[in-house]
Amino acid sequence: MATITIRNVWKYYGTDPAVRDLNIECSDGSFVSILGPSGCGKSSTMRMIAGLEHISAGDILFDGKRINDLPPKDRDVAMVFENYALYPHKTVFDNIANPLRLRGFSADKIAERVTSAAKLLEIDHLMNRRPQELSGGQKQRVAIGRAIVREPKLFLFDEPIAHLDAKLRAHMRGEIKHLQRTLGTTMIYVTHDQLEALSMADMIAVMHDGELQQWGTPREIFNHPVNAWVAGFVGEPAMNFLTCELRGEGGQTVLTHPNFAIPLLPEQVTRLGSNRSVRMGVRPDALTIDTTRPGGPVIEGRIFVTELLGGDIIVDVQLADARVRVKASTEFAGQPDDTCYLTVNRDKWHLFDIEDGHAFF
Amino acid sequence: MASRDVVQYKSPLTLAFKVFSIAFLTLYMVWTLLPIFIMFVSSFKDLLEAFKIPEVGDWAGSTVFFDFTPTFKHYIGLFGDGNFGRYLANSLIAAGGSALIAVTFGSMAAYSLSRVDFRGKNDLFFWIISTRMAPVVAVMVPLYAIFRSLDLVGTLPGLILAYTTFNLPFAIWILKGFFDNVPYSIEEAQMVDGASRFQAFMSILPLVAPGIGAFIVLCVLFAWNDFLFAAIIGSGGAKTLPVATRELVQPQNIQWGKIMAAGVVTTLPMMLLGLVVRKYLVTGMTMGAVKG
Repeated sequence: MATITIRNVWKYYGTDPAVRDLNIECSDGSFVSILGPSGCGKSSTMRMIAGLEHISAGDILFDGKRINDLPPKDRDVAMVFENYALYPHKTVFDNIANPLRLRGFSADKIAERVTSAAKLLEIDHLMNRRPQELSGGQKQRVAIGRAIVREPKLFLFDEPIAHLDAKLRAHMRGEIKHLQRTLGTTMIYVTHDQLEALSMADMIAVMHDGELQQWGTPREIFNHPVNAWVAGFVGEPAMNFLTCELRGEGGQTVLTHPNFAIPLLPEQVTRLGSNRSVRMGVRPDALTIDTTRPGGPVIEGRIFVTELLGGDIIVDVQLADARVRVKASTEFAGQPDDTCYLTVNRDKWHLFDIEDGHAFF
Repeated sequence: MASRDVVQYKSPLTLAFKVFSIAFLTLYMVWTLLPIFIMFVSSFKDLLEAFKIPEVGDWAGSTVFFDFTPTFKHYIGLFGDGNFGRYLANSLIAAGGSALIAVTFGSMAAYSLSRVDFRGKNDLFFWIISTRMAPVVAVMVPLYAIFRSLDLVGTLPGLILAYTTFNLPFAIWILKGFFDNVPYSIEEAQMVDGASRFQAFMSILPLVAPGIGAFIVLCVLFAWNDFLFAAIIGSGGAKTLPVATRELVQPQNIQWGKIMAAGVVTTLPMMLLGLVVRKYLVTGMTMGAVKG
């Protein structure tokens, strides 16, 4: 177990910075997820922590000790790769035993540790198989087994479940989270899937273009995104964005758009900047849809299409210059081309600066 | 490698092609196998019997090929007073030694070229492979001069070095393709698991084993069948089978029986080697090309 400190870390490939001035502090025993789209620098960050790539500038510390110049084998980390990276010519047992063999454990100790790791992951009946005889989920368990058998200071998981099918992925999310809680080992988990990060991590680092966008708990990231990029990246279906104007009317600040004019809540007004042009962001579940006009301020639109997702319906609503998605219950009976009325939960909407995208609230 | 089902429908053209290809393959088999057969049979014949040949067009007379009393006198002659045992050993050592050295250095060089990026890498790689572009004869004279001044002419180490010079670029070239197909993450996993870079390299060798196997065969074949190097650099102290066979052709006496026996002695080990590694050779030759 260890506290991991990433301090002012840069990574250059040639002259292109892949990671810019990254600062993260992972507390002992925590589950940290690095979230971002491909090419955001999350994998480079992980590989620098593992020692597979040089750190261009800055320091990485384990428990306050600088490890920049240690080779991977001396860092006491265990890594699970996206493609599992099992040794194809070795059996499951030998794959899991490999790190112990490399560290010169006795045969008895190896057998004992491997068996208990395999039991924990429920792969103890596969010990004599080779990787090509295993399913994706089983391979992934073997890869995790190889990581946990050594009881390292730190786990590094690089999109370990990205290649599994959706059902198995949902199952493995729970398993990995439980495993991390049981072992209590610090874990850094890299993913491009916001759902994985939200559902598993204690803390999330959202990265984009090599820069850390936001560092916070899943709730903070979801409910209080610091900028429009984070707001748009996290959440499924994605947040709706509308470009609006702010106007003062009768002592109130009103958000106006060709389809609506809705006053801001008083405490929200105090956080605004001077710019009169803003982007409003609202998640599909912060909107309510009706086919009859309810009381209060509404957004009027036309139903474009409805998609049944099982427990919910996603309704695409056409406004003058944009389309927004709304989550509705399955009782909603609107048909395409019907006129509809959206009510915004004003506690849950966000306004972003139109230029730099930072969130006012 | 799963083969696809190749769908073909009968038409006069495909039928004609089929007949043609069977005829062609039959001729091809006779063309390639008959000399070997004659060599094999003649090596067990007395000289007089070996030259019994039926008249042209007399197909029934072809039985004279089989009409002989087997004799081992040519083999006994070769190994008894002909020193062929030593030449055989020389051939084995020269071919095996150069293959071993080339594969050791070749795999390390190929791994580096596959994994590490550095300035001028492509130029270096091209230079390595370009050393194989010049025909052996072209470099023979300077090479001889160098070997002579190093006192390597007529010695086995000299011959091994000469073969390695030609096999090493080939090894690097072939094996790089194999290493390129091994995912980085396997050796990275090894290093995170606690291996040094060299241990990680060793751990992925089994994954390129088909390539190494295929290459060893090609390497051994090159050295085993070589005449030029063996005649010039190996002459005297390190005589190999092809050179020794050539010496059976003497101005006043061509020893056909012994030549045939020497041919069999030279061919058999390579055929056996081919049989043993056939499986690897086929996968090896194709695996480099197609990503597994």
